[in-house]
Amino acid sequence: MLAAVAVQPHEVVLRTKGLVKRFGSITAVDGLDLEVRRGEVVGLLGPNGAGKSTTIGMVLGLITPTAGTAEVLGRDVRVRREDALTGVGAMLEVTSFYPYLSGRDNLTAIAILRGGGALARVDPLLTRLGLAQRGGSKFRTYSLGMRQRLGIASTLLADPALVILDEPANGLDPAGQREIRELIKELAAENRGVLLASHLLYEVEQVCDRVLVIKTGKLIASGTIAEVTRGGASYFEIVVGDKARAAQILRGLGVKDIRETPTGLDVVADPERGAELNRALASSGLYASAIIPRASSLEDVFMELTEPESPSASPTS
Amino acid sequence: MPLLMLLIIALAAVGIYLLVYLSVQAQLQAVRTGAIPSQPGGAQAMSQTLRELRPDRVQGFGVQIVSGLGSVMIIVFAASHVGTEFGWGTFRTLLAHGAGRGAFLAAKALSLALYAAVFVFLGVVAAILGSYIVTAIAGEAATGPDIGAITDAGRRLYYTLLPYMALATLIAVWSRSAGAGIAAGLVVYFTEGLVAQLLVSFNRDYANVVNYGLSRNVGALIRGAAGATTIPDPSAVGLPDQGRAAVILGAYTVVFLSLAYWRLRSRDVTVGG
Repeated sequence: MLAAVAVQPHEVVLRTKGLVKRFGSITAVDGLDLEVRRGEVVGLLGPNGAGKSTTIGMVLGLITPTAGTAEVLGRDVRVRREDALTGVGAMLEVTSFYPYLSGRDNLTAIAILRGGGALARVDPLLTRLGLAQRGGSKFRTYSLGMRQRLGIASTLLADPALVILDEPANGLDPAGQREIRELIKELAAENRGVLLASHLLYEVEQVCDRVLVIKTGKLIASGTIAEVTRGGASYFEIVVGDKARAAQILRGLGVKDIRETPTGLDVVADPERGAELNRALASSGLYASAIIPRASSLEDVFMELTEPESPSASPTS
Repeated sequence: MPLLMLLIIALAAVGIYLLVYLSVQAQLQAVRTGAIPSQPGGAQAMSQTLRELRPDRVQGFGVQIVSGLGSVMIIVFAASHVGTEFGWGTFRTLLAHGAGRGAFLAAKALSLALYAAVFVFLGVVAAILGSYIVTAIAGEAATGPDIGAITDAGRRLYYTLLPYMALATLIAVWSRSAGAGIAAGLVVYFTEGLVAQLLVSFNRDYANVVNYGLSRNVGALIRGAAGATTIPDPSAVGLPDQGRAAVILGAYTVVFLSLAYWRLRSRDVTVGG
């Protein structure tokens, strides 16, 4: 087990202000402000190409921002990069190590680079990530899941205040994914800040205190899971044939948030209004095949926020 | 790969000694038996070549062999040593763990410089061994190698490898690829040497231009170490003086490494490097 970081709780470990990155005419990140504090797990969500990895690249000083700043523990990454990164452990989306070295030797090489007490953490981390038995095997013989575990182990060598994990559960089986979720929770409990970029919304929902949703480089939603999902707002999935007419009837009942789906409508309304909606439709000669009460999940909100609009899933007007 | 290349240079040095000895010896025999016509001064030239194979002339013939092979091999090794970091994505991993770009390049350059030193040492030792082997085969009494002259030649040889090392590093950094670094490095090496040689053979005045290139300055330093060689070399006409050659090669090394650093520092590191 790593030593807990004994500093002020809730200290901001990562802060970006107006972060912008343009590649020619393409704006990959557009004025992104974010904060990660000690003891919290912040999820960075967005579809492919949203700018998550570019943001992480700028935080790590791998990519030079076009504008804005990224500060780690109060140190500007552009000005004091090496200094700032002493407090960061980062695992990038593609886990890369020397293929001809063993997992242990790869960690040892990074530990030497890191200095401090990192060398002493190599074996405990191999054990913690379930790689103790294969630590002596060459990296090139590792499965995808083992590579991910080694990548995560490498982030903890420096006993960091900020851990950045880009798709850490890639290639892991369900048991492995659960272990990683537990590990992320442990890292936050050790008073580290964690920035987690993931496509696995269930994973994010399980471990993140706050989420940031970005789309085409812009922050489009942020807050706690409850805030982003509107407290898990209730809605009804109504399976019905004549969607337009059904929407018109329901709007007559004062229901405003109605979305068309391939099979019918999604209608945001209090759970106790199910019978009322059913009665209104039936009295107009529209018989729903099903009216299913649901609660908004992060996935629902994510899809709503980030998916390009299509005829089959657009708000009815 | 580093160990394999050291083995190759050792075997190649000994092998070339044997090859040259056997082929010259065969030609001499053929001339003596009348199997091939004798050219005026031909037998004498061949005997001179055989004398160059003796241990006391390693600083000449032996060092030239290691220089020719060494330049090619250091290009291959340097491009591979640097370029694979981009191919494997380990450059990005190292940076993400706090390594500096300048420190990365400095570490690469230092390790390459150390490798080149081992390479030169082993190559020269292999050349000495080769010279003893052919002397023994010839049944002649071996005169001992001139350690002082060989050390001086080895130092010069080492120095001439540095610009090629820096060139291959620059190309590998620029292209983010070992393969491109090797290919482009070798093309530059062979083309520049060939063009310089051709131009000088057409017109000696061109030496004023090509003497600012790599190959002519390398030639000046290596031939300078050989002392009064007995093998005629028309390509050595108009070589720059050794002091100037050393300055030009040093300048190339600094410029190539500086450009590599500038490129490494100014570039965004996305996937791989």
